[in-house]
Amino acid sequence: MEPLTLVESVLDNLPVAVFAKDANDDFRFVLWNKKQEEITTVKASRALGRDDYALFSEESADYFRSVDKAVLKAGRLLKVPEEIIEGKNGQDIHLRTVKIPVIEEETGRRLVVGISEDITEQVRSRAQLESLNKNLVDANKELQETQLQLIQAEKLESIGRLAAGVAHEVKNPLALLLLGVDYLSNGIDPDDPNVDTILAQMRSAVDRADRIVRGLVDFSSQRSLSREPVQLYTVIDEVLLLVKHELTRSNTSVEVSIPRDLPHVFLDLSKFEQVVINLVINAVHAMSESERPCLEIRARSESLRDVVKNQGARRYEVFRSGDHVVILELVDNGCGIDNNDATRLFDPFFTTKATGVGTGLGLSVARKIVQLHGGELHVGDREDAKGAIAKLILPTKVDTGKVGLSSKTAK
Amino acid sequence: MARKILLVDDEAGFTQLLKMNLEKSGDFEVTIENDSTRAVSTARSFLPDIVLLDVVMPGMDGGDVQAQFQSSPELRNVPVIMLTALVDSAELSDGAVAQSGSSIVLPKPVDLDLLLRVIDEATAVI
Repeated sequence: MEPLTLVESVLDNLPVAVFAKDANDDFRFVLWNKKQEEITTVKASRALGRDDYALFSEESADYFRSVDKAVLKAGRLLKVPEEIIEGKNGQDIHLRTVKIPVIEEETGRRLVVGISEDITEQVRSRAQLESLNKNLVDANKELQETQLQLIQAEKLESIGRLAAGVAHEVKNPLALLLLGVDYLSNGIDPDDPNVDTILAQMRSAVDRADRIVRGLVDFSSQRSLSREPVQLYTVIDEVLLLVKHELTRSNTSVEVSIPRDLPHVFLDLSKFEQVVINLVINAVHAMSESERPCLEIRARSESLRDVVKNQGARRYEVFRSGDHVVILELVDNGCGIDNNDATRLFDPFFTTKATGVGTGLGLSVARKIVQLHGGELHVGDREDAKGAIAKLILPTKVDTGKVGLSSKTAK
Repeated sequence: MARKILLVDDEAGFTQLLKMNLEKSGDFEVTIENDSTRAVSTARSFLPDIVLLDVVMPGMDGGDVQAQFQSSPELRNVPVIMLTALVDSAELSDGAVAQSGSSIVLPKPVDLDLLLRVIDEATAVI
């Protein structure tokens, strides 16, 4: 067996196209293996002795020639990551090519040797993958938009439910203001000791009404998620102002124990208020039959320990051991959670309330909002007594990687 | 003789200003009770000619207070004017106000002239 035959045999069985052009003879082809025939659909018998201009379009030939010259000039291997030639039926064929300058020892001929790999399938898969990925990104964006719309819709419903109570809370300072006006409109006696008291009361009534109205406006505004560092007690103060009427009417006593020196948590105030309002109203409804309705709102900071990922209960699923978190708990002494309902609590439209009292979106939206904050919401029966406990675990650091939305989006 | 008015409302500022207005407008002796759960005991010791009673209060609402007045022989005939900031007409007709059986309900903010007229009429009957 002659060495030449071996080389030819190897060349023809290679899974890559190999060709060579003689630079001393107008870049005519002197080598053209089987794979090159297959890719270009040009037989070796036709290609050998001819140049690119005889085989390909002028535009392609110009390009090949310019690369060939560059290879010779550089005197070293040149990689062409992707080039396109016209294949059978005018279809584009994508090639990854390396071109090598070679000087033949015996003859001194300068050759350009090319090795091409057909990457058409890879390019096609990549394009498909990019297109799929774009669809996925679009769908995800749409999903986030829809989630925000759902959150806003649920919020509007809460506002509707709170409106009468908030109006009541505003009417009280208004009533006080009118009494002040009545008193003062009959003429002001500079020696009357009541005047100072009345003016002070009127001022504080205006402040109070303003705070309530502002609280409601802040609560109803903002569609996108926008987080800022806050102290948890300020959120609870705002929420209690908005639900004061509901608490008073239901004769619910509230015990708040939230340390003032907790680490800051990063919250979208309006959306987080929505969560707490939801949980408070749920507790009030659950305690409607309780003799002494009592809602305890407490918070603490803690460093998580023994967090096991993917546990059956999936507790702390977004957290790791050592994470610093703030835990907010709302504990009621109501009817607790029926065993049959426990697994469906967070299902959208699931409600145990009478028609018209709730849509069943509250808890599912509340959990979604908490998740958008990189936190967790768990609801269950309390262990020490009858009643339910809602537990919110909130990160004390912003980690946008855990969150579906960026921490600051346009307002 | 000064007519005795008991104000029962958890809004301390409101009761303070209403007391000042009433005392400035007529011959009234006004006592304030901001804790509704103590309304009956305060009324028993003060023995008012008329009671101005808020509806939505923590502890006991106006309806409960009114019911206790009804079951107390010395307070049963004391006229009660309910003052309410409730805005929902359904709450007015279905809630504590309706249950209380009180025939006089005035909305907050209170029209002072109207309130004085109603007090005059209610106390004149006695």
